Amino acid sequence: MMPELIMLLGLIAIVVVPNLGDAKFRLPLTSVRVPVLLGGSRFDLTNDPRMPNRISNLTFSLALLSSLLLISESPSEVGGILVVDSFSRLFSTMFLAALLLVSIATTHRLPAKTNAHIPKESDSENVFDRKISILIDNRRQVDFYILLIMVGLGMTMMTMATNLFMLIVCIELASLSTYVLVAFHKEDGTGGEAGAKYFIVGSVASAIGIYGMSLLYLWSGSLDLEILRQSWLSMEGIDPFAAFGIGMMLVAFGFKVSAAPFHLAAPDAYSGAASQVSGLLATASKAMGFLALFRVLVMITVPDGSEAIWMIALGIFAIVTMTWGNLAALTSENPKRMLAYSSVAHAGYMLAAIAVVGSGISSVDQNAIILTAVSFHLFVLVLFKLGAFLVLALLETEGKGHEIEHLYGLGRRDPLIAGSMFLFVLSLAGVPPLSGFLSKLLMINGIVSTSASTGSSSSVDIVSWAESVDPLFWLAAAIVLNSALSLFYYLRIGLVMFFEEPSTEKSLKAAPSLRMAIFACALLTVLCGIGPVSEWLLDTVSSAIDSLMYE
Amino acid sequence: MISDPLTVITIVPLAVSLALLILPKISGSAEGLARASRAISMGVSLAMLAITTMIFFGEIGNVDWTDYNSGYSLTNDAFSLIPSIGVQWKVGADALSFPMIWLTTLLIPISMLVEWDAKKGHLFHPLILMMEGALIGVFVSLDMFVFYAFWELTLVPMFFLIMVWGGEDRKYASMKFFIYTFTASVIMLVGILVMYFYTPDVASSGTITGHTFDMSVMIASSDYIPSEGLRHLVWLLLLIGFATKMPSVPVHTWLPDAHVQAPTAGSMLLAGVMLKMGAYGFLRIAVSAFPESTVAFIPLLIFLGMASLVYGAWVCMGQTNLKRMVAYSSVSHMGLIFLGIATMQPLGIAGALFMMFAHGIISPLLFAVAGAFKHHYHTLEIGSMRGIAHHSPWLAAHMMLGWMASLGLPLLAGFVAEVTILIAFWMSFGWLVLLPTLTLIITAVYYLTSMQKTIFESNDPHHGILPDTLHGEDPRDISWHENSGMIILGALTILFGILPFIFWDMMSEWSSGFLIDTLVEAMQSEGVKP
Repeated sequence: MMPELIMLLGLIAIVVVPNLGDAKFRLPLTSVRVPVLLGGSRFDLTNDPRMPNRISNLTFSLALLSSLLLISESPSEVGGILVVDSFSRLFSTMFLAALLLVSIATTHRLPAKTNAHIPKESDSENVFDRKISILIDNRRQVDFYILLIMVGLGMTMMTMATNLFMLIVCIELASLSTYVLVAFHKEDGTGGEAGAKYFIVGSVASAIGIYGMSLLYLWSGSLDLEILRQSWLSMEGIDPFAAFGIGMMLVAFGFKVSAAPFHLAAPDAYSGAASQVSGLLATASKAMGFLALFRVLVMITVPDGSEAIWMIALGIFAIVTMTWGNLAALTSENPKRMLAYSSVAHAGYMLAAIAVVGSGISSVDQNAIILTAVSFHLFVLVLFKLGAFLVLALLETEGKGHEIEHLYGLGRRDPLIAGSMFLFVLSLAGVPPLSGFLSKLLMINGIVSTSASTGSSSSVDIVSWAESVDPLFWLAAAIVLNSALSLFYYLRIGLVMFFEEPSTEKSLKAAPSLRMAIFACALLTVLCGIGPVSEWLLDTVSSAIDSLMYE
Repeated sequence: MISDPLTVITIVPLAVSLALLILPKISGSAEGLARASRAISMGVSLAMLAITTMIFFGEIGNVDWTDYNSGYSLTNDAFSLIPSIGVQWKVGADALSFPMIWLTTLLIPISMLVEWDAKKGHLFHPLILMMEGALIGVFVSLDMFVFYAFWELTLVPMFFLIMVWGGEDRKYASMKFFIYTFTASVIMLVGILVMYFYTPDVASSGTITGHTFDMSVMIASSDYIPSEGLRHLVWLLLLIGFATKMPSVPVHTWLPDAHVQAPTAGSMLLAGVMLKMGAYGFLRIAVSAFPESTVAFIPLLIFLGMASLVYGAWVCMGQTNLKRMVAYSSVSHMGLIFLGIATMQPLGIAGALFMMFAHGIISPLLFAVAGAFKHHYHTLEIGSMRGIAHHSPWLAAHMMLGWMASLGLPLLAGFVAEVTILIAFWMSFGWLVLLPTLTLIITAVYYLTSMQKTIFESNDPHHGILPDTLHGEDPRDISWHENSGMIILGALTILFGILPFIFWDMMSEWSSGFLIDTLVEAMQSEGVKP
């Protein structure tokens, strides 16, 4: 639980540190003044508006480090509802990595005004207003990072939950914080609207999920995942309570992973939020939904490799999701919406892979490989999806990034950033040898190796072979066709960056920490696709999935 | 001497070019930098040429290229790049790839030489060097994943060469080039992936997926693909990828645009080596893995080849733009390669291989000439200028030699290839040979008329007609570096015309070995007489 403790300490530090000052408490009836440190006029160091960001960076780095070190720790149980094993540790690591990147990247996002610029009393008439606005701006720093750490706590805790109730509570902790983060971008009217939309749709989805959970409770009398799994095994036929319960939870998690048709709020939320936050939603928040799907669908309802009731539904959802996402992305003129829809499409690819797990024709080993592929995809998505959003965040520092025109000529204005962006979109499209290709190949391989052997090998012409093959095979075909479709809008980003005339020749804001985050993402996008780093990551993911599957 | 020469000639150019592209960001003045970086690029490419030449003469590796049965030579100890999906760094060369490798290392320094004083030299020459690494990578890699990665990587430098140094319509041309070839290679990737998913589990250990990208395993296990229909489909997917690169009618339309807009060096490499990647990949992967499909689709191959040959030549007659004419003549000659393969004769396939090589020397010469013409006369219009033999005797001489070689004059390299393909074609298909033969007459027609219009005919015996684009200035003859590059190419054209056996022996050995190994059985089962 080390990373969680670190985050808790960080949370407290963010609340306390900016309030440290020279306040003293005079002991009654004496002249002895005891410094109490809280309140009074703040110290220069603690009052620095960049302080919360630093604390948050430090917190997330330490938490990430400890999580990495503990990744192969032996499993231990906490209070009967949490279990710390390599699976949960691995996903915590991923969430923390995403949050660290976001935290580093937000250094330049909010207007942090240092005290040095507070005007003197004699400067002008509206000094007071300006002072207040600076103070409010600086207070917002604290709020933002508190929320970010709350997201981190919710996410890391949900990876460990073995109890459905705990799972939902942790997801809600993270979700509620993200709703506020989406709306946080107050300079712009769209932020509030996006946050409200996201909140309303999200809470309806959560309510449905919780109702489904209550049905499951009604059915089995417990919310412990292991007991639910046993009841599911011993169930004769399909109990309507259980089926409806699972179905309703699918709705809640479907919203989290932004699967069609529950994805409709996602593009609005992504385009309204600050790009860093959109990136967080598209990666960590989505991964959270998939983790919940793993726990609920795969662990409860596929215990013995028979066909799961949700298999057909999930397969159809997957195809609708990826096709809808790609078609909508094709017509988007706003790069943030485009990335949002591409994130919907990616959810479709992963759902397709998970649907195969429920098919019943795949062996346990094949299931493990598919889940490894999906987890690996979630991992590398953090690198290139978040990276792409961070590039847009860099554009946002000059108030742009909402129209494709803002990307025009980026290659001339800033070749390195444009090159990184190109790398990210290529990886999203799945071009070898980038990590996006590796993960997509593993997913397709999972589907194909399960289904293609079902095709009759004696048939000569292709039509009769196609009729004989298991319908699951067409999920793989759908992924391939959709990837081809997606190339058009991904490449379009590359084309406008390098071949359109920029509206201004001015170079982008320096923003060193944001750039550092982008370059780290770009480097890792390549390294996780080829070479020893990818191997290590894949091994780790694979052993973590094994600990989930064969425990 | 060098334990793993193929890895060296792939990696060194790539590494050096990357260093040269990135370092200028850090330090240095533009002028001195351009000079230093082109000197380094030239040095590296010459070193690579030295290595491949030494390989040819047996100084390195001591390879007997005429021995088909020894398989790949100069192989390395394969090591895993991505063990989980079975990707290895595995290189090797045989008589199919070695002439292409040598050709690449030859053309790179020559194209650098021809554009010795290119603008933005600190980027231009490193990009060409990058092109070298990528092209050699395509020819040497024996791992399908790495092959595909290099295949895509060749697009990057070529794309920038057209985009940055191209003519007025460069944006349109480079986009078209990129979209056509990229789409085609994605289609090819689908085919490769289907092959990948049917490699047997036993073939690889330690992979998560249980498959391998090892090229020889993938090719050998193509029989595991269920149903003949699916095998045909995969073959067609691969064909689309390779035919677009070659290019063959009807997916050739990117080529004339790209050539007309590309800088001279870009055109030389595009025509000289990049087009051959298509033919190489077709033989190496599509034909080797799916001999039955190849035999079954012989009529398609003949149709594509014939269409490219006739259509390309026919369109050439109507061209007024010099580069466009040469580009269409490339389409026409690439058609001959399909015809050569379709004959299923050792002679025909060897002729196709020699065509790849000969065209790889002649077409760079033609493009160098066209580039120099553009450079000194500021136009590419045929007929806007007459009597350049008077103004630029060297240019006229090179132009004449290149065109003669391209139309297949005996004792020049192109003749050997054309005549062997036609003989093999006659042996296989009888009187159908009349069509390609008559097309060669069309080729002669367009070259000879252009020759008459540009080189010789002059209304005024002292001056000829000068194009308006010169604004009354006197044209100069080509500069020393253009001239020396063309002289080398011209000399090689003559050399390989007189002594074709330098490469012919290994090519014909490879062709007969390949035919017996892979195709004969397929031909018997399909009922085609061998």
